[in-house]
Amino acid sequence: MLISLNWLKEYVNIECEVDDLGEALTMSGTKVETLVELSPKIENILTGKIERIDRHPNADKLVVCQVNFGDFEKVIVTAAKNVFEGAIVPVALDGAVLANGQTINDSDFRGVLSQGMFCSIEELGMNQDLFSKEMMDGIYILPANTSLGQSVKSLLWLDDVIIDVELTANRPDCQSVLGIARETSATLDQPLGSFETYNAPESLDTIAEYLSIQVESDLCKRYIGKMMRVKKIEPSPLWMQVKLLNSGVRPINNIVDVTNYVMLELGQPLHAFDYKSLGSEEIIVKTTDDKKIITLDDQERAIDQSMLMITNGKIPVAIAGVMGGQNSEINETTELIVLESACFDKSSVRLTSKKLGLRTEASARYEKGVDPDLAITAALRATYLLEKIGAVEVIEGIIDIYPNPQTQAEIELDPQWVNRFVGINLSADTMISYLKRLFFQVREKNQLLLVTPPYYRTDILIKEDLAEEIARIYGYNNIPGTIMGGETQVGEKTEVQKTENQIKSLLVGQGYFETMTSSFTSENKISGLNEGLPDDMVKLINPLGEENSLMRRSLIGHQLEVIALNSHRKNPQGRFFELANTYSKAEKSDCLPLQQKKLVLSSYGNTDFFDLKGTIELMLAELGIENVLFVAGGSDMLHPGRKAEIFVGETILGEIGEIHPLVVKNFNLPKRCYICEISFGSLMEAKKYNVRFKELPKFPGTSRDLAIVVEENIPASSVLAIIKDNAGDLLESVELFDVYTGEQVPQHHKSLAYALSFRHLEKTLSDDDINPVIEKILVELEGQLNGRLRD
Amino acid sequence: MKDQLKEIQERFLKDVQSVKDLKDLDTIRVQFLGKKGELTAALKGMGKLTAEERPKIGKIANDVRESIESNLTAQKEKFERIKIEAQLSMETLDVSLPGSKKDLGKLHPLTKTINELEDIFLGMGFSIAEGPDIEWAKYNFDFLNVPKEHSARDLQDTFYVADEIVLRTQTSPVQVRVMEQKKPPLRIISPGRVYRCDEIDATHSPVFHQMEGLVIDKGITMSDLKGTLDLFAKKLFGEQTKTKFRPHQFYFTEPSAEMDVTCFKCGGEGCRVCSNTGWIEILGCGMVHPNVLRDCGIDPEVYSGFAFGMGLDRIALTKYGINDLRLLFENDLRFLGQF
Ligand SMILES: [Zn+2]
Repeated sequence: MLISLNWLKEYVNIECEVDDLGEALTMSGTKVETLVELSPKIENILTGKIERIDRHPNADKLVVCQVNFGDFEKVIVTAAKNVFEGAIVPVALDGAVLANGQTINDSDFRGVLSQGMFCSIEELGMNQDLFSKEMMDGIYILPANTSLGQSVKSLLWLDDVIIDVELTANRPDCQSVLGIARETSATLDQPLGSFETYNAPESLDTIAEYLSIQVESDLCKRYIGKMMRVKKIEPSPLWMQVKLLNSGVRPINNIVDVTNYVMLELGQPLHAFDYKSLGSEEIIVKTTDDKKIITLDDQERAIDQSMLMITNGKIPVAIAGVMGGQNSEINETTELIVLESACFDKSSVRLTSKKLGLRTEASARYEKGVDPDLAITAALRATYLLEKIGAVEVIEGIIDIYPNPQTQAEIELDPQWVNRFVGINLSADTMISYLKRLFFQVREKNQLLLVTPPYYRTDILIKEDLAEEIARIYGYNNIPGTIMGGETQVGEKTEVQKTENQIKSLLVGQGYFETMTSSFTSENKISGLNEGLPDDMVKLINPLGEENSLMRRSLIGHQLEVIALNSHRKNPQGRFFELANTYSKAEKSDCLPLQQKKLVLSSYGNTDFFDLKGTIELMLAELGIENVLFVAGGSDMLHPGRKAEIFVGETILGEIGEIHPLVVKNFNLPKRCYICEISFGSLMEAKKYNVRFKELPKFPGTSRDLAIVVEENIPASSVLAIIKDNAGDLLESVELFDVYTGEQVPQHHKSLAYALSFRHLEKTLSDDDINPVIEKILVELEGQLNGRLRD
Repeated sequence: MKDQLKEIQERFLKDVQSVKDLKDLDTIRVQFLGKKGELTAALKGMGKLTAEERPKIGKIANDVRESIESNLTAQKEKFERIKIEAQLSMETLDVSLPGSKKDLGKLHPLTKTINELEDIFLGMGFSIAEGPDIEWAKYNFDFLNVPKEHSARDLQDTFYVADEIVLRTQTSPVQVRVMEQKKPPLRIISPGRVYRCDEIDATHSPVFHQMEGLVIDKGITMSDLKGTLDLFAKKLFGEQTKTKFRPHQFYFTEPSAEMDVTCFKCGGEGCRVCSNTGWIEILGCGMVHPNVLRDCGIDPEVYSGFAFGMGLDRIALTKYGINDLRLLFENDLRFLGQF
């Protein structure tokens, strides 16, 4: 929200530097985002009246103006088209500086000396968005009653500083100059100025002859109507226009400007209806079955029954709190106006505004919350101003529908509790003074404070709220920093968290890069994986596009995207991993969806199936997981001949394999990519925690190599299983060190070469110990797999 | 006999001169000192000596043996040294050649940031709590004192998977779950993934990460909040870091604050990173609202506590000087390799 410093100064005496003011407000809770000086460079630009315009003797496009500054006159040559005799304009005299820093000097225009220059809105550095194109094109014409020879800088508040404040949701009362002034007053400990309202004696109820008002919806908390007879619709006085401009609001005419002025000043949105166009003697506030309304901006708006309308009893004439209707707009022929000062339900305004896609200054304020008690003050303030600037004659009487007036409850506060809670040591008197600076009423009773917040502080309900008020006026930065006492607590990670770190470190050590990918996926992406859409996918009701409409059930798709991106960017190879949640529907509808953490590894370029498998085996070994089996098989996204399911005993951990060529095509991947996805939960279950020391062997071991020839399709794991099952306790380890197919073995056969190590803990082994074992292994291999020793 | 020994010694000294390498040396050693060597042969005559002569000759024999042995040892050392020197002269590496390539991966910068924050808080006695990403709306909003009609609950702001189930917009629901399940004293942090309906750009993402913290105990003060978070900031950004607490508003806390830290780029002088303010907003915090405590079954008249929350992605971005949030989720190796 933009606040004019000059306007603020009308309410509070501000002596400090503007930067210090910004810092002080920020530190007391009104966050100042920026402080922008409007036109700091402007100098020596005065108001002057064009007394006479003569043709330039030597140039058709120029004119020569006699300009009166009250005490002196100057000659100004101009090419501007919109100047006329009698116009009062800003004139940059010799030595003047424009908003952009340009200096103006006397200069000769084809033989005529111009003693300065007329200024446009742009040259004065005013907010260009707030003026019409016609006004922007020419010289800025000031109102006819502007006094001459005045500094334009101070007249138009070009020396103003625009303060942009960010308000928090709990402080709708700060959405105005007055609101910020109250905070400034409390922050700087300076008195708050007052403002005048209409308070002529209203002995008569003349308004009743014209109008009645009914509120038929509880979405309207209060509705005030005040009527006036228009004297003249004209531009508002310059001082008012300047305040509007510096608050970012475009001046329109005296009536509209006053409604905007009061909204900016007090925070109460106001609306003025043309009484005659209402075409009725009643205003009824209600929801209606009407389907459309044309708003002030000439747009037809589709409305529905959820939206609160101001009606004339028959049709809507305004969308409550959002925008007025074109059918009741003030126009040049308006004789009587109805001024509305109302309080509408904030959620109702928010939803209506959102549905219509129409956000206005009024709706923005109503959304945050406008206090019903403000409505009457604002109505009387607007009435006062309208009368003061000569826009209206007031019709006596006021209609005020306020079914449930709100009250502020008294809050009990123990000053010692505040000190304990905040960690400070203030006296009760200091706290009382802080609260009074914020316009709270405070009574003392038995060491306790009984505090009543001002009507507009609806955010103050409990003692913690008061503690915050005291703390922020005291200054958060004056609160000491301490480290909490209490019971000593041990901070440590859980086993699961430790294992996650362990796995990540291991994989990083193996050359894998951790990725971080989105949790969303789509039907389209899943179909690219050569798989049907699982029926337990979690679907978003309001996704950001179809591409992000499902919660991922697997991490594989995103890994493929990572590979595709890297390969596309000419990174020649990559190894990746991610440990993240996957999601699936719960079986019961009244449960949260299931969330399963998975570990995915992927690789491409200078890698193969066994490279990836080796890493998995290393990781499983590091976690103490034994009895791991890789069994051919797995999902359809994998190459049918190069995929395996990973088991620990009977439990499936996950799968590993080369990406299917069709998927490679769909994802635009390099030709050979490898992936492995493992359930982290199953991994944790299989993990062995208790590591026990084994005595180091004292006796030497002995080793034997066995090259076994078996048919090609027999998995190495079967050969290994037979070796292990028959080697007995003496076998210390067995490693496959060579796989051979070729001329030296029969066709469709392969040779698997194993190194077997044997050891006895209490003696040195001899051939007599080993030979029978080898013999038994060979017999079993032959019997079960038709395997035999290679020649 | 004596002469014979002297002769052996002299002959050894003569012969040893012509020795050229360790092999010759070994031959000469066997020739003189071996089991069948000359000295052994000579000593076989000892038996013929008188009892009087025997010790004398014995001593001489020993001296001769020791002299030959020490000479041999010296010679051996000499030849070994020559051999090593010959070897060394042959073996010179261009040490400026690169080492053999080892593969090392990297943790994601976000994980590194999270680890760093976790370590700081673990050291202060916090534990790490986790909770579901897909969460009951009541845990994400109601229990956190968010008003029923608040716009944060709108479909435009929050992802829904069912009427009452949302993708959590903050990790605070984890705190609620912990408060419901455990009795104070509590000290937890909850890092995790959160979601909001923001289109992705350089500073926004519908998927991002937060870490929130919670302390509940008897007698916890706002002063404790300041001290703890100030310590955290110093640990994370360096001892010289200063903090500033500004009043703010959150539904979850009362009083509430935002904490700024002195810009770690310029140290408070003002630069582009801090928009010339010298300060960077880092987290929101406050004293846990009594409504929240009460809803979680904790008596606010007995216990008090503070909570804080920060955007991890933004901390990672500012910490490493990354200028675009999208880089975090793109996973280009040339990016991942930098951390
Ligand atoms: Zn900086």
